[in-house]
Amino acid sequence: MDEWKPNPAIKPHKKRSWYLAWKYKLMNQRALRKLCQTGAVLFLLVTVIVNIKLILDTRRAAYEEEEESAQDYDDEMLNVEVPRHPVSNKKVLDVEVYSSRSKVYVAVDGTTVLEDEAREQGRGIHVIVLNQATGHVMAKRVFDTYSPHEDEAMVLFLNMVARGRILIFTIKDEGSFHLKDTAKNVLKSLGSQVAPFLSWRDMWTFVGKKGGEVYGEKHAKSPALSTWGDPVLLKTEVHLTSVEDAECRWPDTELNRRRKRFCSKVEGYGSVCSCKDPTPIEFNPDPLKDNKVFDVPVAVIAGNRPNYLYRMLRSLLSAQGVNPQMITVFIDGYYEEPMDVVELFGLSGIQHTPISIKNARVSQHYKASLTATFNLFPDAKFAVVLEEDLDISVDFFSFLSQSIHLLEEDESLYCVSAWNDQGYEHTAEDPSLLYRVETMPGLGWVLRKSLYKDELEPKWPTPEKLWDWDMWMRMPEQRKGRECIIPDISRSYHFGIVGLNMNGYFHEAYFKKHKFNTVPNVQLKNVESLRKDAYEAEIHRLLGEAEVLDHSKNPCEDSFVPDTEGRVYVMFIRMEQEADFTTWTQLAKCLHIWDLDVRGNHKGLWRLFRKKNHFLVVGVPASPYSSKKPSSVTPIYIEPPAKEEGAVAVPAVAAAEQT
Amino acid sequence: MQKINKNVVLALLSLTSLVFLLFQLYYYKFYLSQKNGAVFSKVRGSQSGQDSTRWHVVRKFLGLISSHNIPVYLIDPLILGLVDKDIEQIRSSPDGPSPECKYFCAPRDFTTFALLDKTWKHEMGLFRTAEKMGFQWLKIINKDPRLDGMDDLSGIEIPLHYIFKLASHAIHLVVFYERSGNYLWHGPLRLKQHMDRKFVPFRKLHFGRYPGAYEKPELLLVSIDDLKVQIPKNPSSFLEEMSHSRFLECRYREARAFFQLYPDDASLDAVEFRKKAKSLLHLAALTLNNLGVKFWLSSGTCLGWYRQCNVIPHSKDVDLGVFIKDYKADIIPAFQKAGLPLKHKFGKVEDSLELSFQGEDDVKLDIFFFYEEDDHIWNGGTQAKSGKKFKYLFPKFTLCWTEFVELKVHVPCETRQYVEANYGPDWKVPVKTWDWKSSPSNVQYNGVWPVNEWDDVIQIY
Repeated sequence: MDEWKPNPAIKPHKKRSWYLAWKYKLMNQRALRKLCQTGAVLFLLVTVIVNIKLILDTRRAAYEEEEESAQDYDDEMLNVEVPRHPVSNKKVLDVEVYSSRSKVYVAVDGTTVLEDEAREQGRGIHVIVLNQATGHVMAKRVFDTYSPHEDEAMVLFLNMVARGRILIFTIKDEGSFHLKDTAKNVLKSLGSQVAPFLSWRDMWTFVGKKGGEVYGEKHAKSPALSTWGDPVLLKTEVHLTSVEDAECRWPDTELNRRRKRFCSKVEGYGSVCSCKDPTPIEFNPDPLKDNKVFDVPVAVIAGNRPNYLYRMLRSLLSAQGVNPQMITVFIDGYYEEPMDVVELFGLSGIQHTPISIKNARVSQHYKASLTATFNLFPDAKFAVVLEEDLDISVDFFSFLSQSIHLLEEDESLYCVSAWNDQGYEHTAEDPSLLYRVETMPGLGWVLRKSLYKDELEPKWPTPEKLWDWDMWMRMPEQRKGRECIIPDISRSYHFGIVGLNMNGYFHEAYFKKHKFNTVPNVQLKNVESLRKDAYEAEIHRLLGEAEVLDHSKNPCEDSFVPDTEGRVYVMFIRMEQEADFTTWTQLAKCLHIWDLDVRGNHKGLWRLFRKKNHFLVVGVPASPYSSKKPSSVTPIYIEPPAKEEGAVAVPAVAAAEQT
Repeated sequence: MQKINKNVVLALLSLTSLVFLLFQLYYYKFYLSQKNGAVFSKVRGSQSGQDSTRWHVVRKFLGLISSHNIPVYLIDPLILGLVDKDIEQIRSSPDGPSPECKYFCAPRDFTTFALLDKTWKHEMGLFRTAEKMGFQWLKIINKDPRLDGMDDLSGIEIPLHYIFKLASHAIHLVVFYERSGNYLWHGPLRLKQHMDRKFVPFRKLHFGRYPGAYEKPELLLVSIDDLKVQIPKNPSSFLEEMSHSRFLECRYREARAFFQLYPDDASLDAVEFRKKAKSLLHLAALTLNNLGVKFWLSSGTCLGWYRQCNVIPHSKDVDLGVFIKDYKADIIPAFQKAGLPLKHKFGKVEDSLELSFQGEDDVKLDIFFFYEEDDHIWNGGTQAKSGKKFKYLFPKFTLCWTEFVELKVHVPCETRQYVEANYGPDWKVPVKTWDWKSSPSNVQYNGVWPVNEWDDVIQIY
């Protein structure tokens, strides 16, 4: 009795009856007995209730899962997701390659992956790269090795292709004229026996694995100079390897997963897919202190130039102060490869169904992209607009961060642009200097949302108008006398050679020698002096201290500007009224700067550098600054040459180049 | 002896029922959580086990998202309702340990959290960690409505909902997007064909039946049931907002079809009018919202939204509807203060009230007051020169949110009936000549104002 303490919370157990009996004997108390009995009955009842509840619950749960299929939540559309590439389990690929004077084609497992029978196009060696595990086309190129230097491009490309890939070659028309020994040796090293002896108008097809076996080669010699070799058709089989063999063994990280996906789909991006030492795809540039453009969306306008896009995004993501989350790439058309590039860098991309043709297509793409940007970032007051063929300076965002408040506060501004149309190697000098100009340069610029939403978007040129969006934006109806802020040294570099309004010659002449800032963290000077009124004061100060050059000399000659450094000089040219740019155009021509239309002017004044001296050009008498001209000085007039040969007829189109 | 026998029988019965009970428990646990029953087996009694499961799942989830620096906040109506009762106490002692599990143990199937899209980077790492922690997860994606209004953009599907399931409890994570008009939007939850319909009882979700629109909430970091979590600063107003948050997307596809038939007016006049109408609407919305007066797009403005997702350029005014019960005497001075003088006032609060304000350059703002009857709703019109009264009848409607010219505004949810009542079955055909006394198909002659009241009920400025 003494050692035993009643424990009310004791668990019922097997010896219950014994214990009850024992207790009954001991105590023989009626009350306690009753209590025990009632307790037991209560317990039974509770058990029964709990049991019933459990059964009900279980049944209800089961019933719900069966019956209550969430029909409210069914998607009304049957979005059956189709993988982008059906994965074939076949181990062997049938490959057909055809080479002839007027037509080439390549078919893999009966699917034509290349067909070119267009006249006067596609001459040279066509190269196709297949993934050795899946048989997917990873790259398609044509090198016009009839023309000089194309063989070098081909060698470069072939060297970039990873070992083990399947290479398919076929010649259309002519592919040997400028195929130098280096290129022939590379082809030989791939296993081609014919390549070293390829000659004028031979037809040739070849299928081989890089650094491995040869699957087939066919060749037809041209019998005479004036005729082509007979068409050749090569049919062969390629054995696929396992996926594991076709991939590099990079450590399993999120970045490498993206890299793997990219590298298994496309070729020709060099070391990004290198197994041993892949180039990084994340850059983590230094953040900017007090970055005012961190939350400004960046719209990258792209077409189908994935290699350009790759280069562009690399430079963009390396710029200090970049915020990858704000970047959206807008692709004009349903091209896969640009999208692959966008995904490689972990950015978001949007594809846009092409509307209309040529310039109007670009213009519609711009409109859609800008509207989408402001929809996606409803808080944004600005958007940065970039194109896929631009290099972005390391201090691009720093430049914008220091100047963007002007666009917000100064109503007389139209844009801030990273590009100085007149900023060539020999005419730009000061990375901290900014100008106000009446022309809109584009090529990396900031657009104010209110300007777009209230003015531009509602009256944007419709698809049937074949206008250039940028020419349209430069029209007085849109610009309404507002100006853009530009740097002396551009913060973007236009590297595109192929484009809608672009060709190699044009690029060489107008873009190649453009100056591009590579200095990080440039502190812009006197940003406040760029405001409307302050800028006038600044110009008057400059003109006040400027030395007037000797107007008897030829302004095109180098000796026109003395051999000094850091001085300010001014010259006066004839400019009868506001739109008279006769002399300026001739001057621009001989200075080898942009002369296709008038750019970079501010009230009849141009500012540039010559021989490291600030060089001002004032148009007299149209410019309000004409009053600064000493009365003794006669403004220079340069006679335009009489009608020139064909080359100058291009400008109307060429000037439109912004794409 | 007999009594002992009775006792023995009772004891035996108790024992069997106990065994049965344990078996049931085991079965229940097994059935509801095939995999993750670990928490369960430790605890006796179904109710307390369930309770702590919920708490544990929430705790695990909060750990998961904080390890990935993803800021979420609690929007679960059930818990917020409980929290709201003790809000003063919770606010005043943000760190105090709680004696009992009061909120996160409350019986429910889900706990709902919100995530602002722009605050995270869609890293897949989150899901891998979640899987390692034992969560099963489901992602629901759909088209991005912010790009829906635009022709021909594609390739963009955005995550709208995530569901993380662990044991018998699930976390519903609703993704909120910022949209033009400075508000937050969440999408509807629609399952695609291949999805597991039995993943969770979807019907019981508090969010996802319809898309919803919300103001950006102010958040408060609190500690409840020993868990640190962000909640809307004012739970009761959030719950209020939630109860009528339903959002209607503009019918962009139909609008495009409309413009195919009737090309848009892109003249300079049209552009100018739209710009003015838009700024007038923005000003009106600001003024009425400041007063706390609920309003919706009515008449031509509503038709413009419904038919072409834009202001009708030849409509020449902006029309709003307000329930008469929401009428405030401050409305007129507030508009005057905002630079919109009263142009005319017809009717009186008891009958056929209509206010007209003069916007910039002849663009007029009309506010019609609506009177609710048992089976219909009506508003009145008055002809100034004759004192004739007109009545426009509408079927009953409720209000939904939508986005219009970068503004979050109300429209009748039953828009089609509303528009059809007003404009008849041919509302799809643009009409340039419109007589408000005879053209509407729901107009009724409603007598004449007594001449002695004219000074009051017909005021023209």
